[in-house]
Amino acid sequence: MHIPDGFLATPVWAAAGAVSVPGVAYCARRAHAVLEEGRIPLMGVMGAFVFAAQMINFPVGVGTSGHLVGGALLAMTLGPASACLVMTAILTVQALLFQDGGVLALGANVLNMALAGVFAGYLPFQLWGGGSRRKLAIWLGGFFSVFVSASLAMTELLLSGIPIPTGVALLSLVLFAISGAMEGAITVAALDALGRLNPSWVRTSQTAGKGGYGALWVGAVLLACVGILIASPLPDGLEKLAESLGIAGRASNLFKSPLSDYEASFVSAAWLRKALAGLAGLLATYLVCLAAGRMIAKRGSKA
Amino acid sequence: MSLKYAVIDRWSQGQSVFHRLDARMKMTALLVYLLSIATLKPVRAPEMIAFGVLILIGMTLSALPIGGFLLRGAVVLPFTGTFAAISAFGGQTDFAVGLVAKSYLSALGVLLLAATTPMPALLHAAQWLKVPRVLLLVIQFLYRYLFILVEQAGRMRQAALCRGSALSKRSRGERMSSAAGMLSVLFARSYERAEGIQRAMLSRGFHGQIPLLTNPAARLKDWAFALCAVAATLAIRLGGRL
Repeated sequence: MHIPDGFLATPVWAAAGAVSVPGVAYCARRAHAVLEEGRIPLMGVMGAFVFAAQMINFPVGVGTSGHLVGGALLAMTLGPASACLVMTAILTVQALLFQDGGVLALGANVLNMALAGVFAGYLPFQLWGGGSRRKLAIWLGGFFSVFVSASLAMTELLLSGIPIPTGVALLSLVLFAISGAMEGAITVAALDALGRLNPSWVRTSQTAGKGGYGALWVGAVLLACVGILIASPLPDGLEKLAESLGIAGRASNLFKSPLSDYEASFVSAAWLRKALAGLAGLLATYLVCLAAGRMIAKRGSKA
Repeated sequence: MSLKYAVIDRWSQGQSVFHRLDARMKMTALLVYLLSIATLKPVRAPEMIAFGVLILIGMTLSALPIGGFLLRGAVVLPFTGTFAAISAFGGQTDFAVGLVAKSYLSALGVLLLAATTPMPALLHAAQWLKVPRVLLLVIQFLYRYLFILVEQAGRMRQAALCRGSALSKRSRGERMSSAAGMLSVLFARSYERAEGIQRAMLSRGFHGQIPLLTNPAARLKDWAFALCAVAATLAIRLGGRL
């Protein structure tokens, strides 16, 4: 589910950007540390592979066919950090060239599909991929990669005040689960075939058999998604919530007080307040990114 | 299928006034434009029409096929239309119209940049805006091999059809495993191609940086464009709200 521009409220896309920019920067560092610089072509070509793989139809479901989405498959072959980077590249190309997802919404789409989707898809494989329940782990990975990212996208839309009735939201949860199950089946079949061609392409998970912790983790991921989704049919999204909590009032006071000596009426104009809030949000995003980038760079140079 | 991917690449090779503008200026103007639309709330008709006129001016300057251009931008409409229909059913017709207008105008703006700027220039502009270099390199390789691999997948599918893959009455399990086999072969070919590329590039002295052949410098014309575009966008964005 690629969110186009024009859907997300400013606080939502700015916050998503503030999470995904340092997240991708961290993954770029990790991928860099694991792979030497010369492996960059591999990541690019594998991104192109995901595009091409969408031409292959898998007979899943009744009379329908689906195609690979790819997040979990990439994570289980290239590793989660590289997979995140490749997915980010895919999403950027889709947004710029194919209008599949917006440019301002790119931060949200990267958060949903490249960060949350890839890591949720890798988690079961990391936990149980080495044991006897390997196939189930791979299927769960495929399932989560789609289900988590679609639920997150839905949550962001709800937080932005897109009016989606609760019934529709629940119905789409079911649809997400179905497409997640399809992705799981495709991922299992594809990894099986890949392992037969060249076993070294599929990563081996070192930690096998941490059943209890694993179930807890997976349960937490699932609950987080469904929980947010169920909690979020607020009447008008974030802004209504802020209003009811009194944040909006406090924010406007904050903006008014330093300028109250002159042109207080000017600042109280709704559009300017909104613009100022937007700018402040952007500035905060930028500062967070800058600080996180510095920190990651420092740690990277030490390692 | 591959044609669908290639059409913007072909458009971006044009020679119009708009094509020749500096990519960094175009990208900056696009960001201001997108921000102006994204922060617009509630949506009013005159502002949307004015933004539409801006896009039309850009489109005329870029000499792109108008019908094809408007149609390509419409790929966002199925997604937007679904949500617009839901909110229209809920009685919020204004909101629905605003949603469609905002997302379609945003998509057209992005398309205008992508259809008038070749990929290397686009990436150079992104680097100028401090997008991480590793990500840009991955995007560059992705784009370079996108067409090749999509065509390869198309050939593989054609070959499978020629061998009667659509005719045979096989069980779902068999069809599933044959699709998985195709996918893994495509993976193998991509992987091997990538390794070959990597060796070739290392032997040519690649160390993680691809130098630009031309070093574009922003001319007076480019600055004038950026100034006009940003001023017009901001005038529309702020004009009605004062």
